[in-house]
Amino acid sequence: MLEISHLYKKYLNSERFSVEDLSLSLKPGEIFGFLGQNGAGKSTTIKCLTGIYPFNSGTITICGYDIQKDPINAKLNMGYVPDNHSVYEKLTGREYVNYTADLYKVSKRDRNDRFDRYVSQFKLTKAVDSQIKSYSHGMKQKICIIAALIHNPRLWVLDEPMMGLDHQSMAEILKRMDDHCAEGNTVFFSSHNLDLVAKICDRAAIIRDGKLQDVIDLHIKGNKETLEKRFCEITATEQDIINERTLLRRG
Amino acid sequence: MNGNIRTLLRLEIKNRFSAYSLTDYKSYFKLLFTLALVGVIFYAIYWVAGLFFDMFLTGGMLYEALVLVVTAIFLFMLFTGISSTIKVLYYKGDNEILMRYPVSGAEVFISKTLFLFLNQFFITAIVMAPFLWAYGEVSELGVSFYAKIPVPILLMVFINFFLSNILAIPIMHLTNRIRNKFVLIIIGLALLVTAAFALYMTIFNGMVTYMNDTEFSVFSDDMVEVIEGVCKWLIPSRYFADIMVGKELYVAYPALIGLTGLSLIGMILIIYFLYAETLLKNVEVEGSAFKHVTRNRRRPIFITLLRKEFLQVFRSVNYSFQYFVLACAMPVMVYFCNEITGRLGKDQVGEQIALGMTMLVMLIFATVITSFAATSTSREGDNFYHTKVAPVSIRTQLFAKFTMFLLVSVAANAVCAVVLYYTKQVGLEDALWLFAMVELAAIGETLIAMRMDIAHPYFNLSGEGEVVNNNASTTLAVGMGFAVAVVVGIICMFLGYLGNTGFSIELPYTDANYEPMKLAFTTDIMYYVVTAMVVIFFVGAVLGYTIGLKKAYNKIAK
Repeated sequence: MLEISHLYKKYLNSERFSVEDLSLSLKPGEIFGFLGQNGAGKSTTIKCLTGIYPFNSGTITICGYDIQKDPINAKLNMGYVPDNHSVYEKLTGREYVNYTADLYKVSKRDRNDRFDRYVSQFKLTKAVDSQIKSYSHGMKQKICIIAALIHNPRLWVLDEPMMGLDHQSMAEILKRMDDHCAEGNTVFFSSHNLDLVAKICDRAAIIRDGKLQDVIDLHIKGNKETLEKRFCEITATEQDIINERTLLRRG
Repeated sequence: MNGNIRTLLRLEIKNRFSAYSLTDYKSYFKLLFTLALVGVIFYAIYWVAGLFFDMFLTGGMLYEALVLVVTAIFLFMLFTGISSTIKVLYYKGDNEILMRYPVSGAEVFISKTLFLFLNQFFITAIVMAPFLWAYGEVSELGVSFYAKIPVPILLMVFINFFLSNILAIPIMHLTNRIRNKFVLIIIGLALLVTAAFALYMTIFNGMVTYMNDTEFSVFSDDMVEVIEGVCKWLIPSRYFADIMVGKELYVAYPALIGLTGLSLIGMILIIYFLYAETLLKNVEVEGSAFKHVTRNRRRPIFITLLRKEFLQVFRSVNYSFQYFVLACAMPVMVYFCNEITGRLGKDQVGEQIALGMTMLVMLIFATVITSFAATSTSREGDNFYHTKVAPVSIRTQLFAKFTMFLLVSVAANAVCAVVLYYTKQVGLEDALWLFAMVELAAIGETLIAMRMDIAHPYFNLSGEGEVVNNNASTTLAVGMGFAVAVVVGIICMFLGYLGNTGFSIELPYTDANYEPMKLAFTTDIMYYVVTAMVVIFFVGAVLGYTIGLKKAYNKIAK
């Protein structure tokens, strides 16, 4: 579904690689969590695979389509929810979703079915004909999600989707992720929430300083329980270790 | 003044002048440049005001001229005062941030009010100074006039400040009510801009006539009567003028002091009863969103991209004004400018340069409109990622943006050509030729402006996600457009003059048996040369836009 092979990305005027030799392979029907501290390279990786950022070397294929060589077909198979839930706020929710649906060539029948289903599932029925600028943070996130799903993408990419959401909204998104995977699609999302990843993901990858450190299969017994410990081991700095030892000494 | 109020006031002032913080040599240069520019503008206003007062002096209406100027400044200051009050006192984001600090609501209010008052005072003084300086010189009233000025200025500042506070809340409500009536706003603003421009050009026309013959009074007896009649009823602004010239002081002083007191009471009542409620009700943001019930509809990709571009501009008062309103007003502006420049030219060098003048005027206005394209990418702001993740080629997306600019410029230029033809300012063939030339230049300028924005986008949006400050690309686009207009316009005028006067050059010829050959300039040469220049510019712009476009766009990493 998604193949990232030896990805290297360096920003202009930067001396180090933000993503270095990163390779990943995602299977159909799985929810894949992407973990890392702030600045580890999660968002950069996601922005490279969605076509937002150009990258220095490596390949990224989505459903067999190379994002650099055949970007249109690669993007047609992907839905993306950004971390800042930016949308065209002068449009109404319906206008925005229809705009996205047009770009992804969604038939009228499919868009009507999906639109009604998602709007009802995310409880946006009353707000959908209002301008997006009147929406709350959570509502904007939900309209982004509906727009990303309107073409039923094979790969659904979300960059820290739960940030700032209430419990109810998170539950609605998690339910949608589950349903999407049950249809044979793949969900790839970045998060800081280890419990959430342990709870819903099939596999999780941990990235540090732009390098992939580990890919953990959460179906293997014991891995869910030890995910946090493993994450801390990988991402801890020397100072973190000193602090921890000091705390232990103090009992 | 307590410490918190002083700190908040300093913060407000710093925030207002943040663009001029002196940190490096560039910032010093910027400040110096701004001051020099203000100086030049100040002197230009002083010069024009002198001419204006001279013109009225010849007609025996110097006092009326002062009343008209004071009225215009009073209205202008009231308008800017209301606008500043709404922004400073009721702008939600700003208040939210300040309320997080350990300061009371009263302290925030007092600091902001003080800032508004100081702002109003300085702007009034700066705006009035060149006019009053010019009036003092023309009227030859001398020191006695300047000694009488401070009191009416202070009264004007107080009255405007109090009235601004009274009117801010109702105007906010009214603005929010009509905010989403976009067609109404565009038509209203277009009419307003056109009327203001027509008034300006009429005054300018009078000044031009007066400059040609300073002995001649541009005012007929009827007009003098009308102006004198109107000035009598310009209350309260005529009282400011009365105090300045020492006329009917027994009426002017009590009237203005009474108005100051009344407006102060009105302001206190409004603030006491409505300020907190207005802030809490958050009229500014809530009232600005609208509901528009539609059905799901499938559109072709290009149409949906074009529609999105249109709605993004159409649903923004700022953008609509910058773009659609100016485009709507362009034909009227071109008509007036052409009329006056034509008349100027007629008395000087004949009708030979009329077509070149029209070309110059049309190109200048086309530049103003096309400069909006210099923010075509920047205006995406935080939504820029949409253009990268969408399964639509960058060229198609940019072509949709370009098409919107093209449709507007074609419509504006076509209406201009029709107006020029039907008002008999140019013939049919010339109207068609002008349309073709200006449109080609406008397309070229649009492409260059778009390309400059792609090379250096400016994503720093504010408020409702809009570009409020022009980026460097806009300044460059305007500069380039004006340069094109001047070069093409002047060459068109020059060749038109040569062609119409039958100018010819004798070619050197060695054989004495033949008549010497002459190269006679005809107007055809003007058409050929100007067409060639515009076509070369157009082709250059298309190439400059196309070459390396995809690479440059992909480099943008928002």
